[in-house]
Amino acid sequence: MKLDTIFNPKTIAVIGATDRDGSVGRGLVKNLLQGKKLRKIYLINPNRKKVFGIKTFSEIRAIDKKVDLAIIAVPAKIVLKIVKECCEKKVKAIIIISSGFAETGEQGTFLQNQIKQLLKEANISLIGPNCLGILRPSAGLNASFAPLSPNQGEIALISQSGALLDSIIDASSDKFYGFSAIISYGNEAGLTLPDFLDWAGKDKKTKVIALYFEGLKNGREFFNIAKKVSRIKPIIILRGGKTKISQKAVSSHTGALAGTSQIYSTAFKQAGLIEVQSLQELLDVSKALVWQPKCKNGIGVVTNGGGAGILAADYCYQLGVNLTKLNPNIKEKIDKAKSMHSGWSKNNPVDIVGDALSDRYKIAIDSLLLQNDIYGLMVIQTMQVMTEPIKNAKIIIETKKKYPKKPIVAVFMGGKFTNPAINLLEKNKIPNYSDPLRAAHAIKSLTNNH
Amino acid sequence: MIAGFEETKKLLSKYKIPYGQGEIIKNKTNGFDFAKEFDYPVVLKIYSSNILHKIDIGGVILDIRDEESLSVAWEKISKLAQSKKADILIQKQEKGIEIIMGAKRDPVFGPIIMFGLGGIFAEILKDVSFRLAPVTKKEVKEMIKEIKGYKILNGYRGQKQANLLKLEEILLSLSEMIVKESQIKEIDFNPIIISDKKAVVVDAKILQ
Repeated sequence: MKLDTIFNPKTIAVIGATDRDGSVGRGLVKNLLQGKKLRKIYLINPNRKKVFGIKTFSEIRAIDKKVDLAIIAVPAKIVLKIVKECCEKKVKAIIIISSGFAETGEQGTFLQNQIKQLLKEANISLIGPNCLGILRPSAGLNASFAPLSPNQGEIALISQSGALLDSIIDASSDKFYGFSAIISYGNEAGLTLPDFLDWAGKDKKTKVIALYFEGLKNGREFFNIAKKVSRIKPIIILRGGKTKISQKAVSSHTGALAGTSQIYSTAFKQAGLIEVQSLQELLDVSKALVWQPKCKNGIGVVTNGGGAGILAADYCYQLGVNLTKLNPNIKEKIDKAKSMHSGWSKNNPVDIVGDALSDRYKIAIDSLLLQNDIYGLMVIQTMQVMTEPIKNAKIIIETKKKYPKKPIVAVFMGGKFTNPAINLLEKNKIPNYSDPLRAAHAIKSLTNNH
Repeated sequence: MIAGFEETKKLLSKYKIPYGQGEIIKNKTNGFDFAKEFDYPVVLKIYSSNILHKIDIGGVILDIRDEESLSVAWEKISKLAQSKKADILIQKQEKGIEIIMGAKRDPVFGPIIMFGLGGIFAEILKDVSFRLAPVTKKEVKEMIKEIKGYKILNGYRGQKQANLLKLEEILLSLSEMIVKESQIKEIDFNPIIISDKKAVVVDAKILQ
């Protein structure tokens, strides 16, 4: 079965559907019912006549219509029996949310293998077991027990850890970026990480792929597919389990054998992936790549604070992002502008001095973008008493329209006085970062020649 | 098991990897003859399929410059060889920068290759780069440039630039070898001696 169908099924049956407080089944049903106008959802529970006021079926075979996707959230020991019934019902695909399989040891592995074999023979696709589920915001599908449904967007987030996904979904809910798909692949008894990666590479709604995992079962297969997909769209990877202490947690987590960190990093680099070091960086870089175009290495920095500009220059240097030397005519243009402070830096970073009002930002931004070999911009704003955050944000947004091929990232640093401007920027797809280091990582990913 | 001398020689020649001029000798006279033909300085080494770290047990004598020193060195190394049931290899001493290359099969990713400067650079500073094999020419070039010690190869303080093309060729061959020879578990070329003219593997350890 094609993954496209799994991400937009016409009929879903939930086995283990319940409205009992604090249960996985309740979260799952609640999330699925958000899409009840888009597809038929059958709830199955032999012990409850109704769940959320909807009549239940005692088992999947009691449904008289065809079922595209069966989602199983029952205790591990009865999953095999349920899977057999799903095979008889000839469902097209199954997601097993339940845990208690290969991740727990030998017995669980045995059970998982039985299920795997059965579904392979029946030619039914399997996601999981031991996973959070899958989400496809554009299709109104939340087949997971995540705490809420995420914004629609262009990031495909694929993760070995389900719990991390929950927190990312929650954290992103008041942000302006969103997801084309969120996939928790669990123990990979059926569909594997490379399958999902391959799908995301072809998916028209996905612009950037963000990955989290600790270990790979088949590194070479992953490598080959990642190498192919990274030529089409950026793949960002955060890997956990790099140190000896965390490796212990890995083997009891997913049962995947972790190789050495250096070999993983080598493989990522060779396959053209962008490796990041934290969750924040994963999202920072994803946001930049979704919203802004890629460019050649050579950027300009505008700042109204010397310290922030120096930090930005340091970080850019450390990360191999070049700051372009200003052309004499550009220098002259800035110099001659009436409102420019005579003490401006005359150099890149262009420090327009602390008391800068918006007109100085406008001159600096306009002039830098005019120079051909300044391919992108980092605009820093520290919050001084006279600073005009909203006006500055508007200048960035307007200028950006004139230069669609030159990426701009913003570093509006502050809180209460700055936040409305940050929201305005991000609403208009200018990524903002609270720290020049984060912005430097973002711009590096944009200047990367993958 | 480490591949024997003849087998190692054969494998290297199959993949067109330059192996240092050398032969297994049975007595001192063989050594003198070798040195007459190929010139001093020479090197004596023990060679055994069971000994992984011959330097650690004094199994390598470098920079032997004349017949007298060769005599002394022979006495020393033949005793060791006898006690370890090892052969004795004589080689021409090569001049240049020491390079290390290796290959192994990673449990997750399969065949990989490694590159670095020899000696403390690789062992203590871990200044090495890796790639999954097979590699392209472009990847091999990146791999060489990636190490911190690259500047040393690129002509440092008036030294001539090492012949990087030769290093690229050996890396490509090494990659091909680990991919094609499925019986090989690990390969160690340590060291390879590189100069501005040539690169030569002077010690090859192939684990099967």
